[in-house]
Amino acid sequence: MSTATTPRHAAPSTLEVRPDRRGTTRWWGLALYTVITAVVLIPLVAVVVLALRPRQGSGLSGYTLETIGYVLTQTQSIIWLENSLLVSLASTVVAVVVAAPAGYVLSRGRSKAVSGYSLLLFIVQGFPVVVFVIPLFILFARLNLVDTPAGLIIIYVAASMSVACWMMAAYFDSIPVTLEEAAWIDGCSLFGGFVRVVLRNSLPGVLSTAIFTFLVAWNDYLVAVVFLRSTINYTLPVGLQTFFQQNATDWGPVMATALLMMLPPIIVFAALNRFFSVGGIGGSLAGR
Amino acid sequence: MSTSGTTGAIAPGVVESVTRHQHPGGDHSQPGLPGGVRRTSSRVRRERITMASLVLPSIILVVLINAYPVFYAAIQSVHDGTLTTTGDFVGFDNFSTILASPAFWASARFTLVFTIVGVFGSWAVGLALALGLRAGVPGRSVFRVLLLLPWVVPIVVSATSWNWLVATPSSPVPQLAEALGFGQVLFLANPLLAQITVCIFKVWVSFPFMLLMTSAALESVDDNVYQAARMDGANRWQTFTQITLPMIARSTYISWILMAIFCVNDFPTIFLLTGGGPVDATTSLVVYAYKLVFTNFQTGFGVAVAFLMTVSLVIVSTILYRQIRKAGIE
Repeated sequence: MSTATTPRHAAPSTLEVRPDRRGTTRWWGLALYTVITAVVLIPLVAVVVLALRPRQGSGLSGYTLETIGYVLTQTQSIIWLENSLLVSLASTVVAVVVAAPAGYVLSRGRSKAVSGYSLLLFIVQGFPVVVFVIPLFILFARLNLVDTPAGLIIIYVAASMSVACWMMAAYFDSIPVTLEEAAWIDGCSLFGGFVRVVLRNSLPGVLSTAIFTFLVAWNDYLVAVVFLRSTINYTLPVGLQTFFQQNATDWGPVMATALLMMLPPIIVFAALNRFFSVGGIGGSLAGR
Repeated sequence: MSTSGTTGAIAPGVVESVTRHQHPGGDHSQPGLPGGVRRTSSRVRRERITMASLVLPSIILVVLINAYPVFYAAIQSVHDGTLTTTGDFVGFDNFSTILASPAFWASARFTLVFTIVGVFGSWAVGLALALGLRAGVPGRSVFRVLLLLPWVVPIVVSATSWNWLVATPSSPVPQLAEALGFGQVLFLANPLLAQITVCIFKVWVSFPFMLLMTSAALESVDDNVYQAARMDGANRWQTFTQITLPMIARSTYISWILMAIFCVNDFPTIFLLTGGGPVDATTSLVVYAYKLVFTNFQTGFGVAVAFLMTVSLVIVSTILYRQIRKAGIE
């Protein structure tokens, strides 16, 4: 269109060609993304495929659930799975119960102390876990909390506290204060307004905080490997790692355990995918 | 306290609220407490007590589990202790010994490389994929969910699987490399290759976080801006560098800072894949501190390393945090 002879109204004709060209580009895009996704997911597909392969010396061939059954019945994986579930769910409940009121104060309070606490949470969030682990180990040893689920739960709740408080605060920000004010006029106390008005309308915020804490607890390796001493108390990450080191030649049972460990986060994520965007990203980032 | 990879799974939006809570007197008008409805002094006091007791449990936890250990670590770092004893006071000997040791600087160097590759590698991949998805790939919601999986799956699982893929000469990837005529490639036995593998693994784990962040930021960019740019004759590259990037600058800074913190503090990604080897080539500062304490039982040295790391991290992130707030105000 740089030549002077091309009339200006020729522009629409290039637009008319576009739908067709766009159509082809779309299919190229689909092909490209299919290939990329397939390559990215190779390590995860490998876990599933290997978990479905028969164990060495089991005499089976093809794909079978026998390895998974073996892992669940003949090894300690089932105990580790129970430990992991107990620790993660308890951490999630405690974290939400502690973080929701704190988030309310962060959201509604406006004193210097509140902003100071918010800054403290921000600084604490950046500290490496290694710094905490050693002194806490010594402290917990005195309190008989080493090698117990309770010890892990306390650390996981504290570890997710900063982000959990902010997530709750971010969600409470989106709830208009006029709602509480109406309740206060009707004689509701501050606490009553928080529980009956704000918290009742914050299910997405509570759920995304819960998902976050659950994943922190479920996925942690470092705290667990330092604090858990006896095999019977292991959570899945430590258990899987021990299992992997002992059975490095027979990948079936190792990957079956890995599959057990990978499923809960994926299920949570698939079922509550929506809340990842509602409470976390979409609500706060987009539109501001 | 930031733990393993997934820590930031939903963190991004949260940072927005932090930056706002820092200056409550700013543009964000704060609501009045019920005291404003009927203000009597006893009622105000009662409400203060309610607010304080609402936040108290979290303060106790944060102080006991987060602040106390840092205080304790500060004391340990100037003592010649072991895991169970405090040991003698040695002043800043631990720090000077650490700062004079080549192993410390080697792991500092690897931490830096690992962080730079982790931040910008995952950002580039995440942004590219987000831009593609925005351009309209059929079935993009499916791709968006599938591409998030590396971030959702526990790091222990993916490290195990990556081990299966690359660790030994008979693993699939080395086999493939051999079939393609590269000879026998030992990904985790050669120092340089192990460093590259760990960095690629980190990018694989982290790019979904960047995909989430950039997708959310891109959604807030108005389509009309692009149309206007196209009318003005801007080509794709110009549109990208002069419109898209500036418009997502704020969330980009936030995601860089968060990812930098994740990378510097990252333990499992490195430790589970290589254990810090071969010959300490992939030992980052965190892994170095861990080994000093739990393998060599040199608590003083280990804590000193962690302490130096924490201090520099706090300084860097405070500076960057200021930058964000500035970018936010402009």
